[in-house]
Amino acid sequence: MNFRAFVLRRLMLMLIVLFGVVTITFVISHIIPADPIGAILGPRAPDELIEKLRHEWGLDRPLHEQFINYVWNLLHGDLGKSIRTNRPIIRDLMERFPDTIELSTASMIIAVCFGIPLGIVSACRKDKIPDHVSRVFSLFGISLPVFWSGLILLMIFYYRLNWLPSPGPYSTYLRPPPVVTGFISIDSLVAGDVGLFIDHLRHMILPAFVLGFSSMASIARMTRSSMLEVLRQDYIKAARSKGLKERAVVFNHALRNAMIPTVTIIGLNYGSLLEGAVLTETIFAWPGIGSYITGAILYLDFQAVMSTTLLIAFTYSLCNLIVDILYAFLDPRIKYG
Amino acid sequence: MEKSLTTNTIVIAVIALIVGAAIGYVAHVPPEAQECPDPIIPDLLTDPATLIFGTDFSESVSLDPARAYEFWSCQITHCLYDTLVTFEQGDVTEIYPELAESWEVSDDGRIWTFYLRQGLSFPSGTPVNAEAVAFSFNRVCKLEQSASWILTQFGMTDGSTVALDDYTVQLTLDRKYTPFLFLSCLAFTTASVVDPVVVMEHEQDGDMGGSWMTDHSAGNGPYILENWDRGTEIVLRANENYWKGVPSLETILVKQLSEPADQRMMLERGDIDIAWDLPADMIDDLKGTKGIEIIEQPVFTQDYIGMNIGVEPLGDERVRDAIRWSIDYDGIVNEIMKGAAIKLQTFIPTGMLGYNPATPYYQNPEKAKELLAEAGYPGGFDIELAHAAAPQSRDIAAKIKSDLAKSGIRVTLAEMTSAMMYEKYRAQGLQLVLGGWGADYADPDGMAKPFADGTIKQLAWRNMYLDEYATNLTRAAMIEMDTAKRIEIYAELTDYILDHGCFAIMYQDVHQVALKTWVEGFYKCPLFALENFEEYYKETIYVLP
Repeated sequence: MNFRAFVLRRLMLMLIVLFGVVTITFVISHIIPADPIGAILGPRAPDELIEKLRHEWGLDRPLHEQFINYVWNLLHGDLGKSIRTNRPIIRDLMERFPDTIELSTASMIIAVCFGIPLGIVSACRKDKIPDHVSRVFSLFGISLPVFWSGLILLMIFYYRLNWLPSPGPYSTYLRPPPVVTGFISIDSLVAGDVGLFIDHLRHMILPAFVLGFSSMASIARMTRSSMLEVLRQDYIKAARSKGLKERAVVFNHALRNAMIPTVTIIGLNYGSLLEGAVLTETIFAWPGIGSYITGAILYLDFQAVMSTTLLIAFTYSLCNLIVDILYAFLDPRIKYG
Repeated sequence: MEKSLTTNTIVIAVIALIVGAAIGYVAHVPPEAQECPDPIIPDLLTDPATLIFGTDFSESVSLDPARAYEFWSCQITHCLYDTLVTFEQGDVTEIYPELAESWEVSDDGRIWTFYLRQGLSFPSGTPVNAEAVAFSFNRVCKLEQSASWILTQFGMTDGSTVALDDYTVQLTLDRKYTPFLFLSCLAFTTASVVDPVVVMEHEQDGDMGGSWMTDHSAGNGPYILENWDRGTEIVLRANENYWKGVPSLETILVKQLSEPADQRMMLERGDIDIAWDLPADMIDDLKGTKGIEIIEQPVFTQDYIGMNIGVEPLGDERVRDAIRWSIDYDGIVNEIMKGAAIKLQTFIPTGMLGYNPATPYYQNPEKAKELLAEAGYPGGFDIELAHAAAPQSRDIAAKIKSDLAKSGIRVTLAEMTSAMMYEKYRAQGLQLVLGGWGADYADPDGMAKPFADGTIKQLAWRNMYLDEYATNLTRAAMIEMDTAKRIEIYAELTDYILDHGCFAIMYQDVHQVALKTWVEGFYKCPLFALENFEEYYKETIYVLP
């Protein structure tokens, strides 16, 4: 099977997965014994108003009719309207998702830039001090809860030392750039506001580090274990016996073969970060989709829950597809099929 | 073994280091932490023209007066629009004219005629006249959204507000109501006057501009909405043509900060001026901090235990009384609420007309057991207490469970999301419920109806409480024109519900706000969302070079 056929097949499978996600989410949303209209209007709203709005939103129609209507609109690119914000959900997501993409990407850059070298050093210095330190580091990265590490780092670097700025995507007295792409970093450069660009990057440092820390830990661990396995191979012994420098052995011969499991972890982590990180977003006042979908769940905003879940499923599937494509680049023995 | 010992040693060493550092950090409070650290602006301690709030406004749905019903939705709407009448400086006992200069009521109390101030206009140039008022009120009634009932409860409909001439507007109600009740509703944001031309320019699919007004403004209030980024901030700019005078604060920024620790840190660093949502323990910590002031104001919200009289044995008054005698009110107020509440056992809160200070109940398990024995439950009974999935609710529910256990009442806690809890509550499906209620307007009728009148589908009805005597008293107070007599009626009604109702009211909330001392003119209104931000200002402070 060639590359194009492989990608097409995977996209078709993705559609099936997305349909399954939509169906399951719809069913779960609608079997919860609570009324979204009542939840949003609050305890004071008279029953007549609740009934009226239920009818306006089509929530009094049979379930199968609501489902068919929703899927039909989806196929026409309409994600529906949020009961809570009374705005098209696509508009809500276009405001929130770019912030999540920025934060997730920054987190993964930190995680990869530190995690892979750490894993390599750990593998090459197995059972020595650097290895122990790295493993402890990984243990903390996986174990420390985000809400704790986030607050502690904020307290140290913002509150005490004033080295880094306050929570939020930009400083209080700055104004956001005109929206072009929705990414503050890109839009600020497009607007020629370099100060805002730098300010935005500075605001991203702490939340990206906090989010990236646990990914860094898992990447380091995976890199270490796969490097150890590769370094035990006969061809590595052969390379060493030929007199190659250790640096050449590690980077030219071992690393690429050890990357496949690591790339898998990177892809899974990135997809997971793109779901939004509600705790990090809360602590750092970052307006991503994590807090958006949490609010939608709490207020039983079914449309928003289904649409956001669909978006998350799509991005996760896409990340997996990209990872699978990368396998063939890393290992020529792997064929699409 | 040797290798894992090395790893373990390092782990233990690192943990010990972190714990030691944390203890040392927490134990040592450097002197400068008690003062305001240098802010991010190098040459100004603060921008005197910008006021910055740190709060959680994520529940806000819309800034359309017909729809705005959450705290910050209403507070922002209050800044964008004027109303016919208003309260001033946080005093909600007296009504003042605003867009209306004067008014009169027909003999039968049904027809209200307002004479408007002349010469005012919206930013678009459209005059603020009787037509605008009629459009605004009829629009609210026609749209029938979350806040519409504030007006429609008086029988107002689309068309019941009429412009008699350019500056005279007439409202027709379904019956007479006590004037303060009706006027206090007209002071609420639902009765805001909107620019009819701008609103209808943005109409879509017959929504009367509802979608557009969700995040745009069309009023002649002291501020204009510049931007609402739902995840980040709300930005208001001063209305340069405001008829009462341009506000001294050119910009109001409301920053989205869900995490109270963030609000506290930013307040201490001077990156925000006012922290709106700090919990009681953080407020306690901040008391005495140089540069920070704490404002405490009892507000018109209260928490209660609702008892569904349709669930045995709660139908027996003696059992309900036993529950009231079981609760440790002082413990809840002092130990859990820690200064963010005052004891209250009647349904009209302090600061409101008709407030009844009676607090006869205290924790007395022996008396409770006697009452239960009289009612035929000497061994107690089992009951379920529903409460919201929030930290404070959990603490109070656990305390209630423990208190009632001392009287032999075995409570099972049922934690649920607010959405699910209110769904069941509306269906009269709860047994005991830990709930809260806040006044929408400054008149005691807004408290009497839910707590005493079982004919309307509010709190009493949800607990299947229907008492003809209480209902009649509620209705009598609603139409009583003499204030002194009205107070007497409410005294009788509050005492009656205290002993015979289906509630154990526990406390009234005290809103505690932490702010920088450079904020001047700040006051906290007991009724939500009626602070006049245009009356605040900031002291100008410069750092010496």
